[in-house]
Amino acid sequence: MAKFSFTRRGVLAGMTATIAAPYVLRVPAALAQDGPIHLGSLTPLTGVGGNYGPSMRDAIAGVIDGVNAAGGVLDRQIALTSEDTQTSPEAAIRAARKLIDVDGVSAIMGTWASSVTTAVAPLCWENQTMLFCVSGADSITLLPHKGYIARTQPNSKLQNDVATKFMIDEGATHLGWIGPQTPFAQGNIDNMTRIASEAGLEVDSLIYEADKSTYRSEVDTIMRSGADFILLGGYTADSTVLLRDLWQAGYEGKIIGPAYAVNQTVLDALPAEVLEGIFTWAPAPAIGSAAYANVAKILGVEVVDPYSAQCYDHANLAILAMAAGGSASGESIMENLRTVSQGEGTEVSSALEGLPILADGGAVNYTGASGPCDFNEVGDITGTQFLFQRIEDGAAVDFSRT
Amino acid sequence: MIDLLPQFLVNGIVMGTLLAIPAIGFTAMFAVLRFPNFSVASHATIGAFAGFAANVGLGLPIELSLVAAFIVPAIIGVASDEVALRPLRKHGALTTAIASIALTIVLENAVRFFYGNDLRGYDLPLVRDWRILGVRIGPQQVENFLLAVAIMVAVFLALRYTRVGKSMRAVADNPALAELKGIDPILVGRLTVFFGMGLVGTGGMLLGVGTSIDPLTGFRFILPIFAAAVVGGLGSIPGAVLGAMVVGIGEELSLIVLSPSYRSAVGFFAIVLVLTFRPRGLLGEREY
Repeated sequence: MAKFSFTRRGVLAGMTATIAAPYVLRVPAALAQDGPIHLGSLTPLTGVGGNYGPSMRDAIAGVIDGVNAAGGVLDRQIALTSEDTQTSPEAAIRAARKLIDVDGVSAIMGTWASSVTTAVAPLCWENQTMLFCVSGADSITLLPHKGYIARTQPNSKLQNDVATKFMIDEGATHLGWIGPQTPFAQGNIDNMTRIASEAGLEVDSLIYEADKSTYRSEVDTIMRSGADFILLGGYTADSTVLLRDLWQAGYEGKIIGPAYAVNQTVLDALPAEVLEGIFTWAPAPAIGSAAYANVAKILGVEVVDPYSAQCYDHANLAILAMAAGGSASGESIMENLRTVSQGEGTEVSSALEGLPILADGGAVNYTGASGPCDFNEVGDITGTQFLFQRIEDGAAVDFSRT
Repeated sequence: MIDLLPQFLVNGIVMGTLLAIPAIGFTAMFAVLRFPNFSVASHATIGAFAGFAANVGLGLPIELSLVAAFIVPAIIGVASDEVALRPLRKHGALTTAIASIALTIVLENAVRFFYGNDLRGYDLPLVRDWRILGVRIGPQQVENFLLAVAIMVAVFLALRYTRVGKSMRAVADNPALAELKGIDPILVGRLTVFFGMGLVGTGGMLLGVGTSIDPLTGFRFILPIFAAAVVGGLGSIPGAVLGAMVVGIGEELSLIVLSPSYRSAVGFFAIVLVLTFRPRGLLGEREY
């Protein structure tokens, strides 16, 4: 049997190799200027966001397939690597490290949960990799990201503004907020309190612990406050339990929840009578736009969810920004994002439309499936549409649109 | 908030009673096998899903579905113990406890493989809670409470009067002496795992009835179950019941002074407090 022994030289060589490994792994990608351009999708294929991740990834892949079929960008093909966040920051960090260090991607697209985007963001800006996300927490674009974050999802303040005004317009006299501890929980409560006080209304709030199988006592507490319109601040799993507990407790006020939480899974899990009359709201894709039609065709569906529409925009924006900058690097995408997404250029709804214009020296203004895709200085979109729905007989029915 | 005290007390008593069932299973296995078997988390999930399969898949009522919630995790508990844990017991309690954590991950993912991550609910008529003197309580809560009490009474009677129960108590008290008296400790160990995991599975289903279940159902309860067993005194069946009531009621009453987001801290606090002043637990006889 072979014998192994540690020598001083051997240990030193091993330590050197360990330290150098990440850099060596990056070299092939860095040297491969003539090979394919690498882009990454990092969507929640499993976990609480698992309902959305697969079609988000497919929307990105569809854009890239179309561009590759038309000859690629910068005379190179694009290779997409897809990873799963598992809707978990820890898993997402491992996946992002792999995308950046091993695959050498210029951009990561499609991070969904705010906690995931917050965890992955430092890896991206430290490695000059552009990060496109669909997360809503206000804190995300307040990170010191040096321009490497762009989000197509309205931040939670904008979402909360819209929902609070809706509650007041629907006749609420005493607002309630109930949800788990999240990066946006306290911010939403503060924002809601400010808007409500301007209208002379009271707000009561309760932040609970996620992953409980019952919220009976929490329901008793929020009902005791006398709130007649409650906004749910959680995700699908806790919202399911909470809605059932509210119904059993005999709560007779109105309820509104984000459409990502009160979704089809909840409709399937709870009896129709529990859900009757509950409102949902969500940033709405630009239905009727050419980009919306494109992504619907890619996915083979008639109705596109907001996140897949945004991911379609991520891929188009990354490709157009690379073309405008003449470089496939993450830095080039960061520097040229606003060049292609806003301004006086020709309005386009896909990279396929925009690439020939940029090749001829023209300018483009990308208008996407999720909306105008105009970004402010910190990477937030400046406006979008919202769709309110009401659950009737176990199905979500359009109620109003902002 | 003090006006909600009676309501929180009722909620706590119901929760404590439900927690007591898996806590009894956990502490019984500890008493006989002398290691904390953390795979109770996945066995509670397996029980919840076995009950779901019987209730929704076969259309059986909840009471009969509880039989499936007992038998399936009991059998899987014995099988997985034989394969994964018993060979490791000679290496010490810590090694076996760590292996039980690995086992629970494997079993939890096996449930995920068959059922996916989606939430599932039992086939039960949904009814509004009753209101009695300003305190609300659900009919299903009352039924679960009564079922849990009946199970506890059956466990006490079995341990006190049956041959198997007496053997378990003998091995728990002194394995060497029990063996000298002709009791096979390996057989008693298997029987204890069978009944212990059966109780854990039954408790998992009772905790899941009335809300929703998913592959993490049992994992959510591992801390309160462990806290109940430690607070009551590891190895003591009456202690597990008392500990479960302390944790269940304590978690609910804590809402009067604490934000609900710190609810799980009550379990940790109870463990630290009890171990500081009474290391053997409230009703425990041995120090660990």
